[in-house]
Amino acid sequence: MDIRAILLIGGIGAGEQTRPESFGAVPLACLDVLGMSPEERVISRLRHFGVSVCSVICDAPATAEPFLKCAALDSGDQHLHVDGEQFWRSAEETFHQCAEDGAEIVIVIRMGPYVEADYEEIIQHHFDRRNSVTQAVDADGASLDLFVLSTSARSDAAELFQSRLQHMRHESEAFPVSGYVNRLQKAADLRRLATDGLLGRNEVKPQGKEVKPGIWLGPAARVHRKARVVAPAYIGPHAHVRASALITRGTVIEHHAEVDCGTVVENTTLLPFSCLGAGLDAMHCVVGFRRLAHLVRDVEVEIHDGKLVGMVPLSPVSRLAGSTAALFAFLPRELYRGVRASFGRKARKRTAEPSEEAKTSPETPVLEEPLSNSGPSEFPPNLAVMRRYGDH
Amino acid sequence: METTSRPVVVKRMPEKMNLKQARKFLQEVQPFVNSDRPQIVFDMSQVRHIDAAGVDVLLQCMRAAVKHDGDLKLAALSPQSAVVLELTRTGRLFEIYDNSTAAVKSFSSFLPNAMRQFEPHGMQAAAPVQPISVNNEDQQGSGLAA
Repeated sequence: MDIRAILLIGGIGAGEQTRPESFGAVPLACLDVLGMSPEERVISRLRHFGVSVCSVICDAPATAEPFLKCAALDSGDQHLHVDGEQFWRSAEETFHQCAEDGAEIVIVIRMGPYVEADYEEIIQHHFDRRNSVTQAVDADGASLDLFVLSTSARSDAAELFQSRLQHMRHESEAFPVSGYVNRLQKAADLRRLATDGLLGRNEVKPQGKEVKPGIWLGPAARVHRKARVVAPAYIGPHAHVRASALITRGTVIEHHAEVDCGTVVENTTLLPFSCLGAGLDAMHCVVGFRRLAHLVRDVEVEIHDGKLVGMVPLSPVSRLAGSTAALFAFLPRELYRGVRASFGRKARKRTAEPSEEAKTSPETPVLEEPLSNSGPSEFPPNLAVMRRYGDH
Repeated sequence: METTSRPVVVKRMPEKMNLKQARKFLQEVQPFVNSDRPQIVFDMSQVRHIDAAGVDVLLQCMRAAVKHDGDLKLAALSPQSAVVLELTRTGRLFEIYDNSTAAVKSFSSFLPNAMRQFEPHGMQAAAPVQPISVNNEDQQGSGLAA
């Protein structure tokens, strides 16, 4: 039997200033959770249940395009990026295309909700009840925007798409989904999906190697040896945790994200390519795209200060150029600091040794005036600076 | 995740963890935390009074254990010790388990159900939650449901 799937991302609130089910204009379904987006996980799940071709239709602004890539799609699959009014028309056309290509059953999923459904059971239910359209509902009977359609019922499908999945032409017995459901309506739901994945409450498995019980590291992830990571935690591919940082209580750091020195990240998701500055305390939030959603206060803040929340360049060339520039800026600065420090030591030694005049007249205060050749000093010369930056 | 055969030391903390008791306790546990790759669990069920000195001992032991490529985990926190760890924001530095057995087992495999909940209010698991492995009797017994 030829079973195909149409995955619709977004489709509600098009054209509005703040889109629902998105974070920083990127649909929540396209954001990585423990190394893989819910969209990719649903496609993998569909493949597992024998779906041959998947078509993805995504409704998002052009600014979100770099984050909409889906690695789970094969060469035969289709990925459409449609913004606004054309979205539902494209969905209907794709359905008709599937019917013309010989598919018998089309599964239509709108994300929106992340559902771990048993597609075999839904299709069986669809055939047993002889439905033309079968709707999946949760335990409370609310729609999950998941439908199974027979390709022979074209007018039923047209009615469904034109009503934006709100209305069915004929009433039919709905299928109650017993698996894990997450509505993915706001950032808190994305965070909950990650937490449930770490705690084994769903099938969202961390994509990486479990280096210690409860700590997963993606390939090329870098954790400084002075940083502390407390289980459960996930650090994605190419992510970077710098010295003295603390990653704790189910924190998820997605790919290419960075946590700077001394920052505490607790029960937080750091989205891909995001950068948390030094010495911060990020608790119970989702951080990414220069914005922070606090889950306890239920507020979303846009932050333009790169020292607090920044973005890592998306292209590898830009990242390489940036790190090279940082290295070339770092080396002369350290060289200058070293030379300055050695001169300072010599100057202090000279002031510590009493001069001939001072030896002859013990009343003369030796450290009363700063040395003229040492320049303006940050500290008074009679103050010995033992440690200015801790142990480093 | 591979299992470890190294021994896990479980140490019950005294009822009072003031300066005097903390020093005594530190002397007792120092051989363990300074051993090679130590795996230590502090049972805090008996603790009724803990002050800054007690918290400092916990941090010292943790630092020493990590320095020797090991780890220190806490188990069975009494309400008093839980409050002090929360107040001093030191609780987040440790893995905290409901009992010593779970803490000992956690050195060989990750036990999410045995961990103390870290979600803030209003962040409960999305419903419905069902056990993933229904064949495993232990998992059924422990209950993955929130």
